[in-house]
Amino acid sequence: MTLLAPLIAGIAAAIAIPALVILYFLKLKRRDVEVSTTLLWKKAIEDLQANAPFQKLRNNILLILQLIALCAAIFALAQPEVKSNSLGGGRHVIVIDRSGSMSATDGGADSKPGGVTRLEAAKKKALEFVHTMREPGLLDERGDEAMVVAFDVIADRLANFTSNKAELRRAIESIEPTDAPTSFVAAFQTARAFARVTLAEDKGLITSGGATIHLFSDGRLPDLEQLGQSKDLAITAEDKIVFYPVGSPDTWNVGITGMRAERAFEEPGKLSIFVGVMNSAKEPRTVDVELRIDSRVDAIKQVTIPAARLTESTTGDEAGGIRASNKLVTSSSGVVFDMVRPQGGVFTVVVRPPEGDALAADNNGYLVVPPAKRLTVALVTDGNLFLREVLDGLPLQKLDVWSPAEAQERFKDGATPAGYDVFVLDGWLPKIRGADGKEVPGLPPGRFLVFNALSSPPLGLIDQGPGEATTVINYDRGHPALRNISFDGLTVNPSRKCSIPPRSGVRSLAEGISGPLIVEATDVGTRALIVTFDTLNSNWPFDAGFVLYTAQGLTYLGSSSGETGALVLRPGQTVEQTLPPGAANARVGLPDSSRKDLLVSAEGRVVYGPLPKVGIYTISWEGAAGGTDTLAEGRVRRIVTANLLDPYESEVAAVKADDLKSLMPSNISTGQLQAGTRRLWPWFLLLALAFVLIEWFVYNRKVVV
Amino acid sequence: MLKTASPTRPKSIEDLLDSQLVARLGQLDITARKVLSGKLKGERRSKRRGESVEFADHRPYAVGDDLRHIDWNIFGRLDRLFLKLFLEEEDLSLHVVIDASGSGDAGTPSKFLLMQKAAAALGYVGLANLHRVQVTAMGGLNDKAEPQLLSMIRDLRGRRRLVDLVRYLCQVEPGGPCNFTEVCRRINLTRRGKGVMVIMSDFFHKAGYDEGLRLLVGTGYEVFLLQILSPQELQPDIGGDLRLKDCEDGDTAEVTISSALLKKYQANLTAYCSRLREFAGQRGMGYQLVPSSTPVDELLMDYLRRRGLLA
Repeated sequence: MTLLAPLIAGIAAAIAIPALVILYFLKLKRRDVEVSTTLLWKKAIEDLQANAPFQKLRNNILLILQLIALCAAIFALAQPEVKSNSLGGGRHVIVIDRSGSMSATDGGADSKPGGVTRLEAAKKKALEFVHTMREPGLLDERGDEAMVVAFDVIADRLANFTSNKAELRRAIESIEPTDAPTSFVAAFQTARAFARVTLAEDKGLITSGGATIHLFSDGRLPDLEQLGQSKDLAITAEDKIVFYPVGSPDTWNVGITGMRAERAFEEPGKLSIFVGVMNSAKEPRTVDVELRIDSRVDAIKQVTIPAARLTESTTGDEAGGIRASNKLVTSSSGVVFDMVRPQGGVFTVVVRPPEGDALAADNNGYLVVPPAKRLTVALVTDGNLFLREVLDGLPLQKLDVWSPAEAQERFKDGATPAGYDVFVLDGWLPKIRGADGKEVPGLPPGRFLVFNALSSPPLGLIDQGPGEATTVINYDRGHPALRNISFDGLTVNPSRKCSIPPRSGVRSLAEGISGPLIVEATDVGTRALIVTFDTLNSNWPFDAGFVLYTAQGLTYLGSSSGETGALVLRPGQTVEQTLPPGAANARVGLPDSSRKDLLVSAEGRVVYGPLPKVGIYTISWEGAAGGTDTLAEGRVRRIVTANLLDPYESEVAAVKADDLKSLMPSNISTGQLQAGTRRLWPWFLLLALAFVLIEWFVYNRKVVV
Repeated sequence: MLKTASPTRPKSIEDLLDSQLVARLGQLDITARKVLSGKLKGERRSKRRGESVEFADHRPYAVGDDLRHIDWNIFGRLDRLFLKLFLEEEDLSLHVVIDASGSGDAGTPSKFLLMQKAAAALGYVGLANLHRVQVTAMGGLNDKAEPQLLSMIRDLRGRRRLVDLVRYLCQVEPGGPCNFTEVCRRINLTRRGKGVMVIMSDFFHKAGYDEGLRLLVGTGYEVFLLQILSPQELQPDIGGDLRLKDCEDGDTAEVTISSALLKKYQANLTAYCSRLREFAGQRGMGYQLVPSSTPVDELLMDYLRRRGLLA
């Protein structure tokens, strides 16, 4: 127990207690009572008063009661409080994990699935923590301050630093679970950014340390190691992290970790749905995998997923020693649904473990498959044999080959020739009118697979001349055009030195030493995959990856031709769609059947996000329809799906505090909250009041004659 | 103990004596341990020979004797004159003294009210038995609300004088101090005959009660003391820091009530009462301590009959 104002209480006690006793001793105010005679009383007083100056105070219950009440009031003035060991005073950042794994239902006291969610348990712990925070005293303003940050893949600051507990409680209680993956780095950056800045009255914003980050999570933080790797994110001695674990390390889960639809090149009507499922239980699990097409059950397959394996790993502990630990490695299996289905549809895959599992968000997967279609492609080349051969080998509806001169005629005045899904441009770009009115090589509306040509900004790159020999340093393995392609053996010499202009619709898909090697340029009506180097200056044409890239690139661009088809996103991401000109009254239908209105920008863009939950999001509007859009109830609909598809998030076993310590740098400790009374001064004030009432009662009983 | 702010005063005979009590009182008489000579003929046997129908003795005739009392049967047999003597029946003097001082009026129930009721009841018994009844109020206030030494009504005889007795009792206004010794001296000087005197008071007289009682004892009265105390005087129920004010002389005592003080008070009260009882016993006076909460019928039928004052 500590006293916030011991000096004030001491001074008050030094004055008030002797004053009370002296007042009692010297009290002159007496109540007059008329009696029949004072004869016997005087005699009694004479007998008693001999040599007893403090006789009046002896056995005086009223004085004792008043002294107790006074002491209680003085003690309340000292503002005593009992604190839990989690508090050291000062500033705190409450960071609460709301990611998909926090929806696991093992947050109860028994840690068994089927109880409260981990998020609920984390919020409860956080509320208890807020309860233990030291409040500002009556006579000074020093008290604990805290801010609230909720995070999944992004971090939201829900309450800035405040000592107002009601505001902090409101912020904590407002946290809703999401199905998004986890990024602790984002939360840590946010927390530290606010934790280190203080608003001083005379100095403005100043940087200060000392804020403690209180992390309420199940410990499933995949990017935790980045904290130690990046200089900007390095934890310093000022960053004190207290970890409050929720959930059980023994909780298991079965979930969908991958989902993909593929049509055969040769026969686009043949459709295969690949579903990857995982099991984190220590026993094999047999689950039913159900496929629904447009809400109708189409097929059910049973699959047995092997048991998760324990692998031994060694880590260095704080003392510099080596600590061996067993790590659970989930096992996975797959199911393939083959069918002949030229038409598209909304495909839903549901995994049903007979015993039920801890996390429901990953038991469903959603996919929108566009109708089968053979592409009509125009190739503009000076005679690239490799490209011609690849395209000839693909099952296309039609392939027209134009020379650059012919193409220039057809792309006259910046117009895109009709009747083609994708244009493959080899070392040539059509001329379009630039911002300054001059004609520059660029991309008109349409779908383009570009090799060895750089379009001009804004939908293009800044050409900086020939670059040095390079290999692919990094590339986006998840992009549909680069899926299953290995760039390990690719060498480009010379490459093209270029850079992406800021605030452009261009993003890099593959990076070399001199700059991007493959980029995707997206605009209102344009989508293009651009290979910046000359393929003939590389060994790529001799690699199978070249064929795969061309085929997948055509499929990717083709499926999104005439406006986009289905997009598969993850919770936490933002949907950004371009609607046809004239679209109005746009809104998005959420998985929980609620609707939200969307604002359509002048360019026809609508943005919604971040997506909170897995499921089907239907964007609808009034106006013209795109190529793959459907009509329903007088509105045009476009469907976007969000799936968890995150093996790390699906492996819901909570990370033990010790394991987390080994992953994180130092300064992390495990917090144990203590429930109980924190502020004692109100109780002492009540005690004082109670004794005053008792004294009043006793006094009134005594004065009755 | 506290002086009653607005005490209930009796207004009529019904307030002092109820009919049931009167019926029971009719069977009682005042008793004296000694045979006392009265002044008038009454219903009590006298030491004297008189004219009642009850034969007492013979004596030789002397010149001047009433010839009607000569026993002619004896003269015929003995040829000597003898007179027949009969027992004489005389009245008894009943003197009731009540304390009408300020202290007598204190307490709840009021001590003075009990004294009034007891005086009326004893007076009725006396009147019903043809005794001479006198009631004296020590202290009290006169018509101008000024303190007086005493007031009295005397020479009441016969039931019909009960009205006068009650009227007097109702008009006595208690208050002021009481000079007990002086009152006793005045009673002694104005006494008529011998009889029974009942003194009702709290006997809280700062000048002492010894001298006054000694004056009364020597007059031939059979004195009976009724010390009437209120429950608040017997068991004080007060607390806090008080300034106690004497309702008679305005004397004050500052006290802080504590259990020790209360114990001391109780001890002093017990000693005071014991001393009065011993004083009375040594001088042949009867003594009885009566709480003012005692019903008047219980006082007469139980207390005073047990003490032999009534029979």
